[in-house]
Amino acid sequence: MTVNDHLGRFHGLPIHDFTPTGDPRRLPKPGDAAWRLSVEYDAEQGFPELWRSLLDTVDPAGIRAVVIGPWWSGDYSPVDTVIATITGDAERLPALEAVFLADVTYDECEISWLTLGDVTPLLTTFPGLTELAVRGGMDLVLKPVQHEKLTALRFESGGLPAEVVRAVGGSELPALERLTFWLGVGEYGGDATLDDLAPFLDGARFPALRHLGLANSELQDEIAAAVAHAPVVARLRTLDLSMGVLSDEGAAALLEGQPLTHLEILDLHHHYLSEEMQQRLTDALPDVVVDLGEPEEADEDDDRYVAVAE
Amino acid sequence: MTTRLTVLGNPGHRRVTLFSAAARAAGLPEPTVLPWLDVLRGRYRLPEGGLLRIESPGEDPQVDELLRGPVLGASYAPTRVEGTAAWYAGVLTALRGLAEQPAVRRGEQPAVRPGVRLLGDPEEIAVMFDKRRAHALLAAAGVPVPPALGGEVSGWEQLRGRLAEAGLHRVFVKPAHGSSASGVMALQFGPRGQLLATTSVELADGELHNSLRVRRYRSEREIGAIVDRLAPDGLHVEQWIPKASQSGRAADLRVVVVAGRATHAVVRTSAQPMTNLHLGGARGSLDLAREAAGPAWPALLETAERAAACFPGSLMVGVDVLPTSGWRRALVGEVNAFGDLLPNLAGLPGGPAEGLDTYGAQLAALLHLAADNRPTNDLSTNDQITEPAR
Repeated sequence: MTVNDHLGRFHGLPIHDFTPTGDPRRLPKPGDAAWRLSVEYDAEQGFPELWRSLLDTVDPAGIRAVVIGPWWSGDYSPVDTVIATITGDAERLPALEAVFLADVTYDECEISWLTLGDVTPLLTTFPGLTELAVRGGMDLVLKPVQHEKLTALRFESGGLPAEVVRAVGGSELPALERLTFWLGVGEYGGDATLDDLAPFLDGARFPALRHLGLANSELQDEIAAAVAHAPVVARLRTLDLSMGVLSDEGAAALLEGQPLTHLEILDLHHHYLSEEMQQRLTDALPDVVVDLGEPEEADEDDDRYVAVAE
Repeated sequence: MTTRLTVLGNPGHRRVTLFSAAARAAGLPEPTVLPWLDVLRGRYRLPEGGLLRIESPGEDPQVDELLRGPVLGASYAPTRVEGTAAWYAGVLTALRGLAEQPAVRRGEQPAVRPGVRLLGDPEEIAVMFDKRRAHALLAAAGVPVPPALGGEVSGWEQLRGRLAEAGLHRVFVKPAHGSSASGVMALQFGPRGQLLATTSVELADGELHNSLRVRRYRSEREIGAIVDRLAPDGLHVEQWIPKASQSGRAADLRVVVVAGRATHAVVRTSAQPMTNLHLGGARGSLDLAREAAGPAWPALLETAERAAACFPGSLMVGVDVLPTSGWRRALVGEVNAFGDLLPNLAGLPGGPAEGLDTYGAQLAALLHLAADNRPTNDLSTNDQITEPAR
């Protein structure tokens, strides 16, 4: 599977595709939309020019959310220019709360081929940011940060570097309520181990955490077993262990561990569970919404795949 | 009017039966079927008058084996991908032979001269069934098309070099004479030179077979082997442009243009680079497409009409329109000589074929043109297609 969908909404706002040639009278108010910028396949101007055009057309002081689409035309180019361009205008963007980098589907670029870079400046330059989402893993860098406002952090990847996971684990994020990792596979650079996930499980580091997603992993059974006894779970409202190679082994560990009945949602979609195990889960968690969608079948044990890799 | 209709087609195929049904519904006599098999074997007699509609020779096992069997030899199977050059040569030779028969009346010749009149032009069909020529013709006419590599592709090594030279790292590689996504490969080079090919081609023992499952190949050995096997039949290579999406799936439009006007449109959506229905594509929503395109919608249809205008001798063509940039612009992917197999699809509301299917629309246009004794693709935008006399 691949990422097929463009975002419909982000940060609670509808997406508006900004085009320099559009009619300015048809634009939403600056704070009423998440502004999506994408460089078209035959664009003569690059991302910096498109960005400049946005800030010249829409009052930057009112912009709350920005969604970055494809930032290149023609050849691959690293995302550093994009990040430098956005952070360079930080003073003009006092209301910026949310950034999605990058809303790119397989039809534009395979997720594992997105050439990323150091995204730390997005957090250090925007102390008012409350939501950051990053898609892609290649060359992705994050350094440990202290950020008082960030409530939602999301990494979507076919292979998330362990260094990034460790940097999040080493960050001070007292307001963080929602944390999601698509961990991906080793073949595409997803080399985080269970030890790297420990800071998210012990419950001490992120006091406000209510949603934890450790998803899209080759280690989904091991993660489930660790989560089954993780102190953090008691504080969660929603738990996402979806998109990975979860089998009956991991699900049994979940059932044998601490109670999960307090959860509102347990997301296990894209899984390799037997029908019997699915029944056991729904029987054991009658008041929890258990997402068992996209059941997969494996002929052999090593024939299990995460939902998004390439 | 009691025009005698003959269909060159494969007897019993849906294309033929649907057209016959439309003829009956229009109050016309039952069309006679002239089997492709007979024409390909050179053993046939043309009707003495009336109109001869040329239908697709596709999807008939005997026709296919007759055309591709000799080049594929003992390893022939209907699922084989190769042999499209032989298929093309066989069909075109037969069509040209048919068109040159004394019994065939040219479009411009007066109606008083006896003979059967061909609907469609073998030379235009020849262009439409050669994606390289069709692309060049459209581009020269200023119709927006994806950039193409151009020139001959002799094999993988050469293709790889030429793509690098041209700076193209996302392309569709298509057999020049293929149809229904047969042999089509969506080929990508990653930022570190990685390869990924998405295709319905199955490589088995050095032979290529069509499969209903879209596969992903990553090894250069396999991808190279497929391209090397495809290249002798002729390849068209063009840039892969991201398509607009609908409900999270990539979408394109098949627009049927009859007598110069866009009469029917369907949205095709897919989670794959290919939107063909047999590969998991699905019909999308025309209403949503219209809504997404907003003020650009008429221009999308007009793009299809401009493509069709490159084929003035064809009463009908099916144009693949690829919307880009959030439905604001469009490129023409392909123009299909037999692109009207869209059963029960009603004509665009407010258009000249409202309430008619694609076959009914063509018959209505024919009757209208016949009344004025005009060539088949000369219907100005002010004309109303009237109900045929019964």
